[in-house]
Amino acid sequence: MTYSCLTTGDQSESSLRQVTSEELPSTRPMNKTAMSSAWHHSRRGRGHRHKEQGRVTRDRVEEQKAEDSVPHGTCMTMCPAYELRQREAQNRLHRFEMVADTERDHLPRADVSRAVKEYSRPAAGKDSTRASNLRPPSVLLKTVCHLVDDIATSSTFQPWAEVYSFVFDRLRSVRQDMIIQRVSGTDCVAVLEKSVRFLLYASYRLCGQHLQYFDPRINDTHLQECLSWLLESYRDGKHQHQEEFQALSLLYNLGSTEAIQHVLELPERIRSSPAVRLALAVSRAHMERNPVRLLHLAQRLDFIQVCAVHRHLLPCRTDLLLLYSHGHSSRNCRYPLQRLARLLFLKDTLAAELCQVYGVNVTGEWVNFSKSSFTDAASGDLQCRRMHEPLDDEQWNCSASSVIHGCA
Amino acid sequence: YQNLDVVLEAIDSRDGAFCAEMLSFKHPHVANPRLQLSSPEEKCQQLLEPPYDEMVAAHLRCTFAVSNHDFVEAYKCQTVVVQYPLSFQAHKEENWALPIMFAVTLDLRIFANNAEQQLQSKGKGKVGDMLEKAAEQLMSCFRVCASDNRAGIDDSKKWGMLFLINQLFKIYFKINKLHLCKPLIRAIDSSNLKDDYSTAQRVTYKYYVGRKAMFDSDFKQAEEYLSFSFTHCHRSCQRNKRLILIYLLPVKMLLGHMPTHQLLKKYDLMQFADVTKAVSEGNLLLLNEALVKHETFFIRCGIFLILEKLKIITYRNLFKKVYHLLKTHQLPLDAFLVALKMMKVEDVDIDEVQCILANLIYMGHIKGYISHQHQKLVVSKQNPFPPLSSVS
Repeated sequence: MTYSCLTTGDQSESSLRQVTSEELPSTRPMNKTAMSSAWHHSRRGRGHRHKEQGRVTRDRVEEQKAEDSVPHGTCMTMCPAYELRQREAQNRLHRFEMVADTERDHLPRADVSRAVKEYSRPAAGKDSTRASNLRPPSVLLKTVCHLVDDIATSSTFQPWAEVYSFVFDRLRSVRQDMIIQRVSGTDCVAVLEKSVRFLLYASYRLCGQHLQYFDPRINDTHLQECLSWLLESYRDGKHQHQEEFQALSLLYNLGSTEAIQHVLELPERIRSSPAVRLALAVSRAHMERNPVRLLHLAQRLDFIQVCAVHRHLLPCRTDLLLLYSHGHSSRNCRYPLQRLARLLFLKDTLAAELCQVYGVNVTGEWVNFSKSSFTDAASGDLQCRRMHEPLDDEQWNCSASSVIHGCA
Repeated sequence: YQNLDVVLEAIDSRDGAFCAEMLSFKHPHVANPRLQLSSPEEKCQQLLEPPYDEMVAAHLRCTFAVSNHDFVEAYKCQTVVVQYPLSFQAHKEENWALPIMFAVTLDLRIFANNAEQQLQSKGKGKVGDMLEKAAEQLMSCFRVCASDNRAGIDDSKKWGMLFLINQLFKIYFKINKLHLCKPLIRAIDSSNLKDDYSTAQRVTYKYYVGRKAMFDSDFKQAEEYLSFSFTHCHRSCQRNKRLILIYLLPVKMLLGHMPTHQLLKKYDLMQFADVTKAVSEGNLLLLNEALVKHETFFIRCGIFLILEKLKIITYRNLFKKVYHLLKTHQLPLDAFLVALKMMKVEDVDIDEVQCILANLIYMGHIKGYISHQHQKLVVSKQNPFPPLSSVS
């Protein structure tokens, strides 16, 4: 039975059912008493309302029935057969889904082992709950592994922005299937963990790219969705990687009192894990407004943790300049640029540039701090991206697979 | 079924308070098994006019559910009951039914809480779902009250606003959606009745607004609201006074006012004793220990993070001591480092000391500047450590 309860089309169906059942009494042959009581009812108006309330309770029963019949997918391939045929015929395959060497054909052929169900917006009249179009949790996990292992972390597919766009969309579709089928438990957690790692890595790798290739706000929205779903899932049962992701969530949401409060309320065992302890220390440094300490601690983060926290580092660095502009404000004193650069964990030249953008005076090797000269300029010119590397450049090109797989 | 007759009479004579009792779960009638019916509709229809027949019927169904400890069902029944006060909008230029609205909305919120707890214990239901729905209903009631522009002051439904707002605050705080409080606060601020509501209602209101101000780091405002709440809270409500103090204390400490030992003892809040001592002495070690010792309590009340803000005040007090000890206006940075190490503050280096000092200067807690070249903090000869209450 495919009980479709989610689309508006079906809602009108059920109300039709109600209307026809409501009309039944009137089709009954009316004897004198029945008629008089009907008349009596409508006179007082009470019967009417009583029937309305009856309708309300009936709706509730329908709702109850719907909740018991959650759709269960039966599609055992990464892409439902129907969609595959349709997209192939309409030349709407992505090049990562085509059979090799048919990409330039007039009508490229679909590779069943690589085609993945795409995300489609739910719409009126569209049945998104048909079992043959839904993939069960085991297939969803397999799909995510393919997307991450074979596509996102492979170095053969370039440019990576295109990889991102494809994987982002297909992961969204995976989550959609999970929502419709109300998937929960280990499979759900595994899917979400891989998605979070992918999105975090993407936020770092594509930082600063043109909006048409990467929109940080959209990435952020989806990342937050995945994180809150994941953290909610962690409430039940034991999960191997929970500590890691609690830490990542805290780092990503640095400064959020809600995020900190959430971590503080976690069981002792998780709170005292090294990852969470480090994240809390970073968070504490942020709360105490000690950027020197924060940047120092950030050196102990592993790469995926850096991906999570990186967007907070530039504001942290400018805050350091602000505090020092006030704390060291004096016409006669000078501060060594090299030392400042070390505090900022930037190369000397980059540190000097940062100072310049924020109105901090640099002459040669020396910085002169002055509270009146600091200007909180919109850092339009100086991109976060240019500060991504810790002192050595190699981390930047570190292989995506090691990052996204991490310890899993 | 004597009760129904009595209700009918009360409705006819517009006795809001009495009706409210007849529909409230605080009243003992709800324990009467003769009223706990699963289908009382017929009897109600016989005796009462709409909409009261449905309302009372739903109420009686609710008593039945509660007697079975089925709070999920009770909540569902109560949502039906609450729909009817909305129709009181039809009471043009009358507000006698407000007590009824108060009673049933209060019960709605309580049942939502209980129902959620029941579901949680069975592992079902998402936290906050039922409360959010209850909040929506309460908002509808609120709108009925707020939009009453026709009646004169004495008959205005606007008198119902503050009670409902307080209920909504309770829900929003529970589900952690404080931003939803803002439009409600604005509504009261712009109301000309705001100082004329009952003291009890205003105390509750200021308590929540004070807590919200704390959350927004607006500590001066928070102090104002919470102080009002504390002083106007009736002497006999010890529990409430204590609750207010839990939030007032950290705010006052941040502004430099430490509570007396007496006060803490009186209200059984000795958890704050060590914190207070540590902050005023500049004893970071004791502060850290105190925060860890009573961590669970502070976290549960949601003040742990605010108390951590006291660290900066503690640094300030510690450094002030150093200044007094050395009796000079040019203080070697090393002295501060030594002071911190004595407080067992681990892995802090001279750069971090500079940063802490820079922060204190930036915030106005210290008047002076750091000379890196001379490795000294040079402070103003006049009032280098301004009193805490004068710094914002």
